[in-house]
Amino acid sequence: MLFSGRHNKRVIHSIRCSRSFRGFSTTRRAAHLANSSNSSDEELHHFSSLASSWWDVNGPQRILHKMNLLRMDFIYSNVRKHLVLNSPGISEEEGVYIPPYNPDLLPLEIRNQILEEQEAKRDEILLENKLNVLDVGCGGGILSESLARLNFIENVKGIDLSPDVLKAAELHKTKDPLLNSSKKLTYELMGIESVPKSDEYDIITMFEMLEHVNYPAQILDEALSRVKVGGWVFLSTINRDFISWFTTILMGEHVLRIVPVGTHSLDKYINSTEIIDWLNNNKDRSSRFSVLDVKGCVYLPAYGWKFTDCSNVGNYMMAIRRDI
Amino acid sequence: MFRSLSRQLATKASINTPSKLQDVVIIGGGPAGLSLLAALKSSNKTKHLKCTLVEGASLDPIRNFGVNPPPEYTNRVVSLTPKTIEYMRDKIGNWNFINQERVNFYDTIVAYDSQDNEARIKFDASTIGDSVLAAMCENLNIQSSLLERIEELNLNTMDPEQKSILYDNTKVVEITGPEVAAEHELPYIDPKEGEPDLDWPTVTLSNGESLQARLLVGADGFNSSVRKFSHIASRGWFYNRFGVVATVKLQYEDYRSLAWQRFLTTGPLAILPLTDNNATIVWSSTPELSELLVSVDDAIFPHLVNAAMALEETDLSYIYSLLKKNPSDMNAVEEIKWRMSRVDSSLVDEGYPLPLESVVPRSRARFPLKMAHADTYTAPRVALIGDAAHSIHPLAGQGLNMGQSDVASLVSALEDGVTRGLDIGSTLVLEQYTANAWPSNHVMLGICDKMHKIFSTDWPPIVFFRGFGIKSLNMLGSFKDVIVRALSGR
Repeated sequence: MLFSGRHNKRVIHSIRCSRSFRGFSTTRRAAHLANSSNSSDEELHHFSSLASSWWDVNGPQRILHKMNLLRMDFIYSNVRKHLVLNSPGISEEEGVYIPPYNPDLLPLEIRNQILEEQEAKRDEILLENKLNVLDVGCGGGILSESLARLNFIENVKGIDLSPDVLKAAELHKTKDPLLNSSKKLTYELMGIESVPKSDEYDIITMFEMLEHVNYPAQILDEALSRVKVGGWVFLSTINRDFISWFTTILMGEHVLRIVPVGTHSLDKYINSTEIIDWLNNNKDRSSRFSVLDVKGCVYLPAYGWKFTDCSNVGNYMMAIRRDI
Repeated sequence: MFRSLSRQLATKASINTPSKLQDVVIIGGGPAGLSLLAALKSSNKTKHLKCTLVEGASLDPIRNFGVNPPPEYTNRVVSLTPKTIEYMRDKIGNWNFINQERVNFYDTIVAYDSQDNEARIKFDASTIGDSVLAAMCENLNIQSSLLERIEELNLNTMDPEQKSILYDNTKVVEITGPEVAAEHELPYIDPKEGEPDLDWPTVTLSNGESLQARLLVGADGFNSSVRKFSHIASRGWFYNRFGVVATVKLQYEDYRSLAWQRFLTTGPLAILPLTDNNATIVWSSTPELSELLVSVDDAIFPHLVNAAMALEETDLSYIYSLLKKNPSDMNAVEEIKWRMSRVDSSLVDEGYPLPLESVVPRSRARFPLKMAHADTYTAPRVALIGDAAHSIHPLAGQGLNMGQSDVASLVSALEDGVTRGLDIGSTLVLEQYTANAWPSNHVMLGICDKMHKIFSTDWPPIVFFRGFGIKSLNMLGSFKDVIVRALSGR
């Protein structure tokens, strides 16, 4: 059945289908914004049924737990890399030395010393920084909890549309006294469009969620409008191509059964270039936001997730920053 | 009866006084446990974790060693590889507190076969451009340096919550917790509402306190209570051999920095150099012979070691039989001297270690030799390090070093876990430790096990092939370098 010609045709149709641009096409759309709840009932039902096993790291969501490791690496390395080491106006004496050329050209010892000094400064700045985070589509709170444990994050608000998974998230939060006692982590049943526009965030995360909503462009727009200056939107989703169909749907759901059947639907996948084009082809957006990092990622059985350099094949993560 | 009583007491105690929550509870104050505590507290990423270490015995002998070291070397001496020393210097930071006058570096090991004196192999660190193959250091010296380092770190910590806590003379009465089993056997229990209990293991201590640990680390040796609690199986076997250790004096100081090992069919005998004319010996042997070795007179023992480093095994068994009848038979010494006078004199200076002069009184001790390896080092909220995870034959001097590499792997896994904002007791964090540490330990355990088996026979075909193997190996410089690198942990 799976390998039947009809099915393959459908796959190819899905990959090519312009219907699936769902708002990222720069020539069309903006008309579909009427329905604000945006997430389809089918999707909601699917994730609610997963709520009870969400936190079983060896259960059906194991691959998501493993992916969370990579997400955290992606967020941490980007935030860390783009810290402003020397605030403007600081004298050369007081600031950290940043060589105007590649430090690898220097003798090893001096290079290491310079880099160590920079790293120490980064640690210092991070500790002073208290960032607030909005985790959109937090699910059972895998990413929200991880972010809330970091010492440079002030608070995390996780939002989702499924009451069942939020219940699982709330329950699991009580299992860690560190999270339970502090007020760092809160969950709320709402879509991003219901978050007051006056609430601005340093980091907004939308991991593995754009491919589950009907109008991703609208959701992304909502997120961009709630980012502080210098703040970040981190997202991840899946390119709409044959490789993705093969890995995430055929192998992942049907053959190896790593993720529950029905988790993905190919025509909802979004190419990384579509998002980049959508950002750049609009003057208002391109003048305020830049894509600073895009990385592909691939799941290797018996190893876990690994970053790749091919951001337009399979799964990918993207870091968008509101320019300072 | 006693168990049920103690369990009742334990439950009562836990009802009356709520358990103290700790991020890391380490059971066992040996070199592995102390190293882990010092390493966690030295790392910028993990130093905020609340840590408690529990040791059943008193730590006073260790503290005394630092203040007032005994005049003679103690008999528990271990070999430290350059890699271990580097980790102690750069990461744990206890190397500064080591009593350097009691550490001896050496660069060469000569190993030879009792069945064939020509079958010799020499491992020299200089062939891989290193000046050190290993350093001999007393266990107490290492533990004392670690304690001092932990105390120094405590002094530098402002927040009283973050100071590490050490309990000595404190036994673990009981460990309770949700049924913790090896990952694949663990049934997932869905958290229920109105169930405030943490899934953290609770350790009830003999001082009446109880600790609840986000991560419980077993550094409690071969009979690890943590390993039993977590139902991790440990596989292996006893060799039906005992190791005899002793601190000895050579006739004069050896200016070459050489260690010696002779493979007898009863087990290998090693003489490892300490400073001045001191040395330590490790003699693996059968249960009967090991009893003899600890019971013969102090005056006879050095001669016996000299004989065992040079004479044929038939001569040795004759001498053993004399001493078995009378452990203080001075005739045996005459027998040894006469037989030694007939040994090829060209070999005496270069081919054999310097003769022993005496043995330090009451420094002899024996312990059973075994091989054991836990199936995994981790379970939910549990990690095993050091001898709790593996026991190895001492013939390659790798036991303590394996414990140190466990510590290094576990600390780096926990650092990653903290950077990624994970719960450090989660298997997602811990499985990285097993993945990094288990395979290389397994290879080392396997090699030492096979070495023991190959050399514990005098069956001619095997003697022939191992002799052939050793001689060929000795000529293959590049292959020898691989072994030297493995021995020094490079």
